Amino acid sequence: MKTILYWLLQVAAALLLAPLPIGAIRKVKALVQKRKGAPLLQLYRDLLKLLRKSAVVSDATSWVLRAAPFVVFATSLFAAAMMPATVRVLPDAFPGDLILFFFVLALGRFFLVLSGMDAGSSFGGMGSAREAMISALVEPAMLVGLFAVGLFAKTTSIPGVLSAMTALGFPLLQPSLLLVFLAFVLVLLAETSRIPVDDPATHLELTMVHEAMVLEDSGRHLALLEYGAALKQYALLALLADVFLPYDPFAAVPGVPGVLLALVAFAVKLLFLSLLVGAVEAATVKLRFFSVPNLAAIAFILSFLGVLQFLIPGR
Amino acid sequence: MEPFSVVLSALLLLSAFVLMASKRIHSYIGAFRVQAVLVALNTGLLGLTTVAATGRVDLLVVCAAILALKVWYIPRVLHRTYRAVEYRVEKDFLFNIPTLVLLSLSLVVVVFVAVSRIGAVQDGTTLVLLVDSLSTALVGLFFLISRKKAIGQIVGLLAIENGLFVTALYASNGMPFIVDIGVFIDLVSAVLILGVLVFRIESAFETTDTDAMSDLKG
Repeated sequence: MKTILYWLLQVAAALLLAPLPIGAIRKVKALVQKRKGAPLLQLYRDLLKLLRKSAVVSDATSWVLRAAPFVVFATSLFAAAMMPATVRVLPDAFPGDLILFFFVLALGRFFLVLSGMDAGSSFGGMGSAREAMISALVEPAMLVGLFAVGLFAKTTSIPGVLSAMTALGFPLLQPSLLLVFLAFVLVLLAETSRIPVDDPATHLELTMVHEAMVLEDSGRHLALLEYGAALKQYALLALLADVFLPYDPFAAVPGVPGVLLALVAFAVKLLFLSLLVGAVEAATVKLRFFSVPNLAAIAFILSFLGVLQFLIPGR
Repeated sequence: MEPFSVVLSALLLLSAFVLMASKRIHSYIGAFRVQAVLVALNTGLLGLTTVAATGRVDLLVVCAAILALKVWYIPRVLHRTYRAVEYRVEKDFLFNIPTLVLLSLSLVVVVFVAVSRIGAVQDGTTLVLLVDSLSTALVGLFFLISRKKAIGQIVGLLAIENGLFVTALYASNGMPFIVDIGVFIDLVSAVLILGVLVFRIESAFETTDTDAMSDLKG
């Protein structure tokens, strides 16, 4: 019973909170540019509108284009539900694993890339090729960063990592975890198509990455893809919030009110991280595509230095 | 205090990598300025502990000197020199940035192996501090030899000095005051002389690329 409730809470929190960070990032950007910007909850309305519309599918496409939105949505939701929305984890529920987390997301990306190429439009193919290149570039940074976190916690299972981080109190005071945190912020920007790597607001097909891959989708399918992207961003932000900012101010409050308060604290952490991403987005410009390897190299050395900082004292 | 100085030393090393990965002269100077702020923070932190422990205030004076010289004065001189001699963006490094950054990473590994062979250093925290600060100096040296333009090389020299200063700081808990001040005076005169030298190179060769100086004239 408790396990079922835990999972219901996880899935509901993921579905309800996922579009919020994107709205917050857009709002920050608009305010920095002295615009009023769209309301915070605009993405919820867009998704509802798209969900009510039927999808138009070209008859030149195969089953991949029709299956991809569902695979992307399902994998993102699975990954998002794996990250506890409250810092309290139920130990006997399905534990989840950080490596599984990243490779479930990679499965969704694989289908997204295939569906971009499926319709045979040149823009879709270009977007897919770029997405594949970016993911190959940031993967070393991500994996080495995971190793650093895993070395600290002596496990890669999510509850194990979280309890180790909670025991540390403020993990960012550890130099290795601070460096890995910075690496993960760069990985987050690249993985969720934010500005130094991809411009989510662009109208020019030649510079699109994520947008180019979903050009062929419409209606419900587009809604699922956009929701999937939002869930993926939520999952990665939740990873940062859970692993690097595990502080739970309401740890003493028992029962249902405690869980609800922890949920509020989690939403505040999400908003804080979104503000960080929004600030980066407002302060930088999109990189030339062939400069993305430089960013990936910096992310990689951040992770690697993180591992070294852990190993040097000889623990 | 100890966890903060370990974090600061890691950030110092990171700033050396940021310096290595930056492309434009203005971002070199910006990265150097960040590095100087971190050096000042390190010194100030150690200064506060020594004031509390022994009542010596000289490290705080040194910290103020770093803020005045390395954070404010030297970057200003460099920016002014750059504005006067450079009017176009040119490629300034030997290899591409990912290669440079990965080579610098291997330098850190070399320093780690070398320092951990020193039997005298047993304490884990000291080991981390030494590895971070020595690697900062070595990455600065590599920065110096990887850039072709004179201003980049000046910044490299200053980055080496930052690394060595922090190494000395960690190894000896603050050098004698007269040594620190002597080093600063050397540093300022070196930057001023090098700044003039950049103008001379520019007027003789119409570029600040120091490779041009190895060509025979005639």
